[in-house]
Amino acid sequence: MKSLDIAATGMLAQQLNVEVISNNIANMNTTGFKRRRAEFQDLLYQNQLRGGSASSDAGTIVPAGVQLGLGVQPAAVYRIAEQGSMNITDNPFDLAISGKGYFQVELPSGETGYTRAGAFQLSADGDLVTPDGLIVQPGITIPNNASTVTINASGQVFVTIAGQVAPQQVGQIELATFLNQAGLEPIGDNLLLETPASGTATVDTPASTGFGSIEQGALEASNVNVVSEITNLITAQRAYEMNSKVIQASDEMMSSVTQLR
Amino acid sequence: MENSGYIALSRQMVLRRQMDVVANNLANLTTPGFKGESMLFVEHLARTEPGEKISLVRDIATIRDLKAGPMIETGSPFDLAIRGEGYFAIETPDGTRYTRAGGFTPDAEGQMVSAQGFALLDDGGAAITIPVDALSVVVARDGTISTDQGELGRVQVVRFENQQALKRQANSLYDAEGQAALPVEEPDVQQGKLENSNVAGVVEMTRLVATVRSYEMAAKLAKDEHERQRRAIDALAANRS
Repeated sequence: MKSLDIAATGMLAQQLNVEVISNNIANMNTTGFKRRRAEFQDLLYQNQLRGGSASSDAGTIVPAGVQLGLGVQPAAVYRIAEQGSMNITDNPFDLAISGKGYFQVELPSGETGYTRAGAFQLSADGDLVTPDGLIVQPGITIPNNASTVTINASGQVFVTIAGQVAPQQVGQIELATFLNQAGLEPIGDNLLLETPASGTATVDTPASTGFGSIEQGALEASNVNVVSEITNLITAQRAYEMNSKVIQASDEMMSSVTQLR
Repeated sequence: MENSGYIALSRQMVLRRQMDVVANNLANLTTPGFKGESMLFVEHLARTEPGEKISLVRDIATIRDLKAGPMIETGSPFDLAIRGEGYFAIETPDGTRYTRAGGFTPDAEGQMVSAQGFALLDDGGAAITIPVDALSVVVARDGTISTDQGELGRVQVVRFENQQALKRQANSLYDAEGQAALPVEEPDVQQGKLENSNVAGVVEMTRLVATVRSYEMAAKLAKDEHERQRRAIDALAANRS
């Protein structure tokens, strides 16, 4: 019975769907997380009776033919780069991007990683780093004696030094954008890598045309919508159950055959 | 003499294939652009030796349910859905194929491609390339793709006289098999959405139950027929002794 294998592909697909959904729900409080979606495609078709073949001696023709599908396969799991909501933290090194763009950080391998999670801290040397200690590119060093740090919407970093009246600029944050954000490869720790599918990075200052602006003292929350994830989970679970019913029903059909004699 | 057994057998054979169709529909419950199918049965009359007619059953076609699937918001600017009539044209190594699954992405060169990497065609039959440094992509309702650098072209949306004759292929593609693709004059292309599978789970479950029960009934008929023949043989043999 082909229906057993077909239902098995359906159950595998829904299992993947549930895995993607559960990862979304698990990351509902992860800063800068973008939800993912599993997409499916049908498998090969088998021609039992060709469309266009004659169905009688009089030359009548079968209009469509019998095409039996062989199930489903996963096509892609892609990230949905919608803006997440802003959480105000009032920490001067928490930065959120409102609009398009990614912060750039230098990975230990020397490659550039991209992230939307702007929960930055200062290293022992005063460098702006991620919670994992990766240095933000281009590097920004806050002097030891700075009393306040202000980062404006266009990413300019100003510090006020005790005893001086005028703030002075110590750096400029730059953002990278991609044509196909969904093509970036996630490597964990809120980091993404450039791939052939994403296209090359375009780097510019925040708030310039097509780039998002920087919000200081805020973090971009995950864009997971729990309500829609739960409804997706229910749909996936029901689909899984229906496919398991097909297996059960096919089994019943086969057992009724074995009981024939 | 054995005709009733053959009739039950013809019923069981088509029910098995019907089960495969139901299983495929349920497996593709969440496949974008998928259209549910049902089996078309016809009565097949056969004339036997003494001149009586017996009625067998045949499945002659799988009929696609062409109603629109529900639209799902994905938030990806490259996901396209056609509301109403129409198919997207895709360039594959085997020639042009058509699909309603509009989950596209730009590849490394910026060309709009399907999940298998096949190019989406514009109304001139050429691939659509999005400039690498484009910052935003907007697809208008009529299928015109534009970026911040200007208009790129219009997505080809075609229709067919006989949609049922389109041959299904893997990966949600259709082969027109020589049928002419006619342009849709006023397509309604939706950006950021996908057309979900139009399979209704509840309906398929009822068909599943009906298929299993019909199969059991046919099996019961075959069994009863076997029983009857056995009793006839027994009775005849008993008479002789």
